Amino acid sequence: MTQPISHLDLLEAESIHIFREAAAQFRKPVLLYSIGKDSTVLLHLARKAFWPAKLPFPVLHIDTGWKFRDMITFRDKTARDFGLDLIVHTNEDGAAKGINPIDYAPSVYTDVMKTVPLKQALDKYAFDAAFGGARRDEEASRAKERVFSFRAEGHRWDPRRQRPEMWRLLNGRLGAGETVRVFPLSNWTERDVWRYILREKLDVVPLYFAAERPTVLRNGQILMRDDDRLTLKPGEEVVNRRVRFRTLGCYPLTAAVESDAADIESVVAETLGARTSERQGRLIDHDQAGAMEKKKQEGYF
Amino acid sequence: MSAQPNTLQKSKAKASKAPLKVVSDQTPAEASQAADLSKIAPELSGMLRVLTCGSVDDGKSTLIGRLLWDATDLYDDQRETLQRGKTVDGGNPDFSLLMDGLVAEREQGITIDIAWRYFDTATRRFVVIDSPGHEQYTRNMASGASHADVAILLVDARHGIKTQTRRHAAILDLVGVKRVILIVNKMDLVDWSESTFRKIEADFETFSWRFGFWEAKAIPTAAVSGDNVARASENMPWYPGPTLLEHLESLPSRVTEPTGPFRFPVQTVLRSSRNDFRGLAGTVSGGSVRVGETVVDALSKRSAKVLRIATMNGDLEQASQGQAVAIQLDADIDVARGAVLSKADVRPVVARVLETRMVWLSETPYDPRGSYLLRTATDLTPVSNLKIRALLDLDTLETHPSDACSANDIAIGDIALGRPAAIDTFGEAPETGSFMLVDAITGASIAGGVVTTAKSEAAAADENTFVLTRAMLERGLNSDIRDKPQSEAEFRRRANEVALILRAAGINVEIESAPDYSI
Repeated sequence: MTQPISHLDLLEAESIHIFREAAAQFRKPVLLYSIGKDSTVLLHLARKAFWPAKLPFPVLHIDTGWKFRDMITFRDKTARDFGLDLIVHTNEDGAAKGINPIDYAPSVYTDVMKTVPLKQALDKYAFDAAFGGARRDEEASRAKERVFSFRAEGHRWDPRRQRPEMWRLLNGRLGAGETVRVFPLSNWTERDVWRYILREKLDVVPLYFAAERPTVLRNGQILMRDDDRLTLKPGEEVVNRRVRFRTLGCYPLTAAVESDAADIESVVAETLGARTSERQGRLIDHDQAGAMEKKKQEGYF
Repeated sequence: MSAQPNTLQKSKAKASKAPLKVVSDQTPAEASQAADLSKIAPELSGMLRVLTCGSVDDGKSTLIGRLLWDATDLYDDQRETLQRGKTVDGGNPDFSLLMDGLVAEREQGITIDIAWRYFDTATRRFVVIDSPGHEQYTRNMASGASHADVAILLVDARHGIKTQTRRHAAILDLVGVKRVILIVNKMDLVDWSESTFRKIEADFETFSWRFGFWEAKAIPTAAVSGDNVARASENMPWYPGPTLLEHLESLPSRVTEPTGPFRFPVQTVLRSSRNDFRGLAGTVSGGSVRVGETVVDALSKRSAKVLRIATMNGDLEQASQGQAVAIQLDADIDVARGAVLSKADVRPVVARVLETRMVWLSETPYDPRGSYLLRTATDLTPVSNLKIRALLDLDTLETHPSDACSANDIAIGDIALGRPAAIDTFGEAPETGSFMLVDAITGASIAGGVVTTAKSEAAAADENTFVLTRAMLERGLNSDIRDKPQSEAEFRRRANEVALILRAAGINVEIESAPDYSI
């Protein structure tokens, strides 16, 4: 009798299969790298898919200028360690206009500094496929997402025009003007991502581990004051709290949780016993009803 | 087969010797906790993909919502969101909100697209694939079912088996689902009547036997109150069987041991200057292979021995169904994407004509003059002729001759290929015996189907068939790619496109096969 293959082995094999299909079918793919834990797993699986050959595509980071400093350090080290062809793109026009996550509504900021530059970069380099770390367990509208998610001209996502996917067959033949987002982690859950990081002993951004950090309490959420661009409102004060992050993004939009989990084992233990879903810490999602679905239709990842 | 546990253990043991790369400052005591990996984050010993299908009003979303609510690790904020929403009968939260995703759907109150949900019990990952019940969404159900290991068919105890139930069973059978569970729901509305349940169960058996199911089980439930979902019902003491959850946990997991003949569809060729590596990357889609065994590329008929089975975690002695690896051969035979490696004795058919059953997925009806491509495991082949012969009447389960076909139809049709492709019948090797029919112009997925017969002889020679020879292509269009890496795959891609253009101009085209290297 054969020993049953564990669920992580099955997920890993499926993701590798998806990477190879996409790399073989698309002319010019790119891996969208957002530095967080999902991207870490995504990158690791991509390396496995093509090992011992090098990654047959570049890695793209959309930098809003408001990421935690630790994230940028980690990104550059990762690129060096793995010999990645890293492309960093920022919406210079938006940055020049001073669009920032503190003074602007999250929906405006996300559009100008995340969605727009992503489209700019995809167009500039003429990428026809972009790998992303989205998972179907993240949010209701993503529960229906395909592995190959097609975007019409202008990167618009139309839920009614997505292609049916059957068995393990992936049809990547593009129509005129179409591009595709590829989601190799579609069937992973947040817990799987952590389990896998632990199993494969992957390096992650230190912000995932609890440490004393300068924080501000705002609207019931704990924010880290990563630099002095986060100005204090009347009555607010900077307090050192022992916190960590379950998800990483732009620091003024990413809430911390108080925690003592200072190493990977305790983070995983805490996550497996967590009582709230990770997106609760992302302030943009609570902006309006069906927020994620709307963002996706506009071209957000 | 017996060697596999060893190879798996070996690769894991190797990984655990690697230095622990943790960014935080660690004391030695903390580091030693890493040894307790299995306690902190146990890997689940298996996975089961469960399709749910039923009519809109049968309470399908409620059933699954209830299962998630009672049996799983739902997060508090998800529970709160539900409790904040409007309640349904008896003051229970509207569990269906856990399943119905898109805003457009919530407004319409129906589920139009398949939704994926994940939950874990102590030992197993469950993947719930929720498919729409509406008749006009047969195609969505078929695509959802193609991913499933087991299907839940849902009926309302007040109405019993409906035409729809039979339709769904036929679709499950078509796409290869082998286990079904009949949930007789809303038992509370028939006073928990055993005779009502037994009658429905008997009705189900009268038609389910004719399909190729290995197992079909009926369970009486009331999803709103949770009876027999995750908790044994006190209202139905006459039912001695398992709850839905118990039954799901008892079914065998997805991919536990290799089945069928060895098949390895080549996805891409990996090259590295390190050790002069040239590996064929792919996922074993059936059976298994060991280092030292001889494998054959059915298309070129060339064979070689397996020299290495490489992964980033170390080489394996054996690769089994479901594993993604890179196979290095002892001879540099020109195998490209689209090839299917097998053992010499049980090869796929080098097919020119296929008899198939397919679900028509596109809003655009069948066009005898349309330009189609056939996507099989890793190959994409121009279709020189697609002929619809009959449609399956899902209500009577009989076939009726037809030469037309449109969305949601289940058609029986013959596909002639512009060049040979390595293909199996679905019953023998599902992953190399299924296909998507692709519109060559828009790229859309037109139909999904299974091969019932694969024939190697060419389609009846048509006087007007134009043969695109390799010599012709090598002289001009492909003169730049001869003897380059990946040349055969690119050669084939260009030939496909030329064939499609000619076909659009009304010319039947065949592409000359790659040279036959067999003696």
